[in-house]
Amino acid sequence: MTSSGTLAAARLPQPPPVRGSEGRALALAGAAHVVLLVALSFGWQWTSTPLPAVDEIMPVEFVDIADAPRVTQPPEPSIEAAPQETSAPEPTPPEPAPEPEPAPVPDPVPMPEPAPKPEPKPQAKPKPAPPKPEPKPLDTQTLSNLINKALPKAPTKPLNTSDLAKTIQAAQPKNAAIDPRAAATLAQAIRAQVAPCWNPPIGGADVRKMTVLIGAEFLPDGSVTGTPRVLGQTGTSGQNGDYARAFAETARRAVLRCSPLKLPADLYPLWKSVEINFDPEQMT
Amino acid sequence: MRIPLLCGALLLAAPAAAQLRVDINSGISQPMPIAVPSFPAAAPGTTAAGTTDELGQRIAEVIANDLRSSGLFRPIAQAAFTTQVSNADVLRPQFAAWRTVAAQALVTGNVTANPDGGITLACYAYDVFAGVELTRQGFVTTAAGWRRAAHKCADLVYSRLTGETGYFDSRIVYISETGPRSKRIKRLAVMDQDGAGHRFLTSGQNLVLTPRFSPSQQQITYMSFEGNRPRVWLYTLGTARQEAISQSSAGQFQGMSFAPRFSPDGRTLVFSMAVNGNTDIYTLDLGSKRLARLTSQPGIETSPSFSPDGSRIVFESDRGGSQQLYIMGADGSGQQRISFGDGRAASPVWSPRGDLIAFTRFGGGRFAINVMRPDGGGERQLTNGYQDESATWSPNGRVIMFQRSARGGSPALWSVDVSGQTERRLPTPLGASDPAWSPLLD
Repeated sequence: MTSSGTLAAARLPQPPPVRGSEGRALALAGAAHVVLLVALSFGWQWTSTPLPAVDEIMPVEFVDIADAPRVTQPPEPSIEAAPQETSAPEPTPPEPAPEPEPAPVPDPVPMPEPAPKPEPKPQAKPKPAPPKPEPKPLDTQTLSNLINKALPKAPTKPLNTSDLAKTIQAAQPKNAAIDPRAAATLAQAIRAQVAPCWNPPIGGADVRKMTVLIGAEFLPDGSVTGTPRVLGQTGTSGQNGDYARAFAETARRAVLRCSPLKLPADLYPLWKSVEINFDPEQMT
Repeated sequence: MRIPLLCGALLLAAPAAAQLRVDINSGISQPMPIAVPSFPAAAPGTTAAGTTDELGQRIAEVIANDLRSSGLFRPIAQAAFTTQVSNADVLRPQFAAWRTVAAQALVTGNVTANPDGGITLACYAYDVFAGVELTRQGFVTTAAGWRRAAHKCADLVYSRLTGETGYFDSRIVYISETGPRSKRIKRLAVMDQDGAGHRFLTSGQNLVLTPRFSPSQQQITYMSFEGNRPRVWLYTLGTARQEAISQSSAGQFQGMSFAPRFSPDGRTLVFSMAVNGNTDIYTLDLGSKRLARLTSQPGIETSPSFSPDGSRIVFESDRGGSQQLYIMGADGSGQQRISFGDGRAASPVWSPRGDLIAFTRFGGGRFAINVMRPDGGGERQLTNGYQDESATWSPNGRVIMFQRSARGGSPALWSVDVSGQTERRLPTPLGASDPAWSPLLD
């Protein structure tokens, strides 16, 4: 993205004005015919007549504009005057990577997949486990990090182990009391609100095999807190990394755009933290 | 490393029901609302192409028009904006203000007049809802090159948001047509992908047909009647050099040659040649000038087009009684019909992505642009005009340009995205036919 290689085409000769040259071109064409007659009695020929040289393709050179701070966090109130990002034509040194150190996201948490609770999914095919049959699987961990890295730091820590343990303990007794149909209804309510916000790039060549799992935390008023994170992705390969990233971002954007969700307050413990799997297979 | 493991252990120990999981299997398919406000000047300046403020406005318009034309974006009207972008905002956009106009992405940047008379365009894209920068790139060019810089910026944004390569910094060569049908003047013309920068290349003295770009963008091949003899010509942009591929009257080939196309590596031309009343497909190695005949059926074989890997050729033939599409190896081996169904099929062209072949479907008195897979399956009709023909692919294989003629009218150039949803007409000064899209410019 910040490559500073010069991609500019060499500047080619300026063309003579096209209209003005028609008379001359005519004369030349006539002359060429004579040449042709002669030439045709030989073997393979490359006869040549001049046409206006057209090339007003202006050279465009790529330069870094890297000396400006990159927005990866919500704007802070006071910033020291940003340096002008209008660097001189000569390539500037490689941009200081703005990497916040790999976020301590407990990324692809090995989820005990299909929850034993049979969610009565209306039309969902039972997906035992996201298949990863790609010959050259992309490192999804890297991809997730790449996507998550650009995110503003969530005000709430996504997960730490003690929180997690607490959550689980808190949820367990409740869980026993919760009607699985309530969970299903809740999932239905979330689906109904998030799906209309999801605009996946369905024209992409690899979209049919792609899914992305997003983790989102909600406040009691139904609004998303922090930025949804990519927990895992299928259908990625070494060839489609850019597409996979754009695809995952559409899912993240869907959750953000639909915030706040309208969900039953009494079930908040159940939807405080949600995993949403986006699968466009049936869309195309 | 340790934390995820620990989490995994805890989760395994506890029932998974603590985590609500939702499956989303449907969504919407709409152009993404995007804001492209005028680019501010980094500092007030003047160039040969206008002030930096004027350029900033025009650059934003070119970018918005590019993105809109793809069918994947819906630039929000500037009148709806609740804020404009100052130079300070370029690096710290007011995301809340852009959220209120429902912009999902923001394209901005600034323009600098350089001391050498050129300009620097700084281009940024932001995800408005996540409040993060997605990409940035600077472009340095001449003042007159501002359009190319704008197209490059649009390509950057398109590519970052869709994950596919862009196609806006590219050109179209086509046949400009004027005059009555009996005395039609046809000229070779070239223009930018959005219709800007239009130029005529030939005077109209000789009939020209089927222009095609080489992969190097520096050459165009076409058929011309120059010298009262229909032959394939090569025109090298920038050098004013036009060469005819001609052959000896004493040699074995004397016929007319037509329907040329380059191979993906640019080293070979494939075309049709009519010899002794039989039209077949030939390749010509441009280095060695060696000619190879690929077909030998008695019918008419024409309109050859290479697959993007150069290994196969799709073409049209009437050997089965009517025009249909066939595929063969690049050496002529394994010829096999791929088009069936009602009506005739002609003028195939292989997508640069390799996944589809676009062609003209004749049937019921109409011509339509259809696509299908190279195995002949999945045929879809993309256009529904009276007479739509002569398809050409955008360099990224997402858009098809074609010629559309109304009943009795002059042809014009139109484009349609590969979903068939977004059609638009390209502005040309005269009638226009037989478009060919260039590769993405460097």
